Amino acid sequence: MRTQPNAPSPDRQLVGRMAGGEDRALGELFDRYGKTLYALALAIVREPADAEEVVVDAFGQAWRSAASFDPARGSVGAWLATIARSRALDLVRARGRRAKVHERAALLSDGGVATPLAAPGIDPGRGAEQSEARLLVGRALGALPEPQRVAIELAYFEGLTQSEIAERLAEPLGTIKTRMRAGMEKLRGLLGPLLEGAS
Amino acid sequence: MSDHPWQDYAAPYALGALTAEDRSAFEAHLAGCDTCRTEVRAFSEVAGLLAHGAPAVEPPPTLRARVLAEARRVRPIVSQRRGAPVAWLAAAAGLLLAVGTGVEAWRLTGRVRALESALAHSDSTRAAAESTLVALTGPEVHVVSLAATGRAPTARVFWNHAKARFIVLAFDLPAARPGRTYQLWAIANGKAPMSMGTFNTNAQGRAYAVLPVDAQITSLGFVDNCGLTEEPAGGSPQPTEIPRLLGAWHHSD
Repeated sequence: MRTQPNAPSPDRQLVGRMAGGEDRALGELFDRYGKTLYALALAIVREPADAEEVVVDAFGQAWRSAASFDPARGSVGAWLATIARSRALDLVRARGRRAKVHERAALLSDGGVATPLAAPGIDPGRGAEQSEARLLVGRALGALPEPQRVAIELAYFEGLTQSEIAERLAEPLGTIKTRMRAGMEKLRGLLGPLLEGAS
Repeated sequence: MSDHPWQDYAAPYALGALTAEDRSAFEAHLAGCDTCRTEVRAFSEVAGLLAHGAPAVEPPPTLRARVLAEARRVRPIVSQRRGAPVAWLAAAAGLLLAVGTGVEAWRLTGRVRALESALAHSDSTRAAAESTLVALTGPEVHVVSLAATGRAPTARVFWNHAKARFIVLAFDLPAARPGRTYQLWAIANGKAPMSMGTFNTNAQGRAYAVLPVDAQITSLGFVDNCGLTEEPAGGSPQPTEIPRLLGAWHHSD
């Protein structure tokens, strides 16, 4: 799936320069991913001040650990998203906001009360590449049957396990597992163009 | 991989949605299964793209400057692979071997394979890499430097694998508030932080502490980072704040 193992992508070159201590490379990486990570953090922590903290923290961790970035394990974008998501979920957990998470899960389980997280087409965006990704991901999520999308979003944005999702939605665990897998398979197919371009 | 008994695990694993028990079982399986590793990688990329599914929102204009200001306070961990890929691979393999196998042993397997193929590529680099490997596995000591994310305090933690001890040195770190203590955390990516123990600094802001290494930490296999938080006296089961000091483990050479 990776295109050219011997030709590092612009992202990987940036991370390489960061590992060499070049903070301008960090600035460029922020220009490419700052908006996406901020939106991700805000979707999870819900408060702008907390989301900022998460983003500063996430880029800080990326900066400090740039030398240990391993392209064999995935793309720079996925690496950054993983860092930011786990920071954001840690913050939510540490501050005992599970109540809010559960509230939101309850809303989702009532069916259709919560609007889809993805809102394609309304974002003029700064980086064309990231806007295109946003558009495609928004469309792909929109193309999933609602129950599959909800299962995936509860896992990704709320950090719930399959068992917790089953409990929240009062559905059998097997049903949740099936939905999650089917949804992810479908996304994998729909997002193929982005996956091939990522490295 | 339609007949593969683990086929249902890769997608939820990538989403972090497996229970701790299932995750451990699956990670043990991953150690020996190329098919599942490929699946996990593919689904992890899909999961990474889900970040774009968050509602579009413009970050505050000051955020970029904050990110850069933060970075200027902390130097990145020095890269060991620039210009010497084979030596770096050897270092990575040596590091992991010194830590021992664990739930992320499959990562070790991958790196060792990469090392092997790199070594096979050239006999002359083989000798150098092997001697590096021997040198690194000898002392069995890792070190992590924790740099300031805000004020000036620093800490350095040595992990002596042979004696199963953490040796903690802290400087310019004001003593924890009354009824509170400092606590160190072993952080393996994708897993809950594990307590490394508690300590406090003296009136001069200094500390020297020796903490036993819990077997649970050893069983993590590969520990990515070390963090320091202030917690209620006696310590907490999980950190209750964002780490005040944080550093990535790297080798002492």
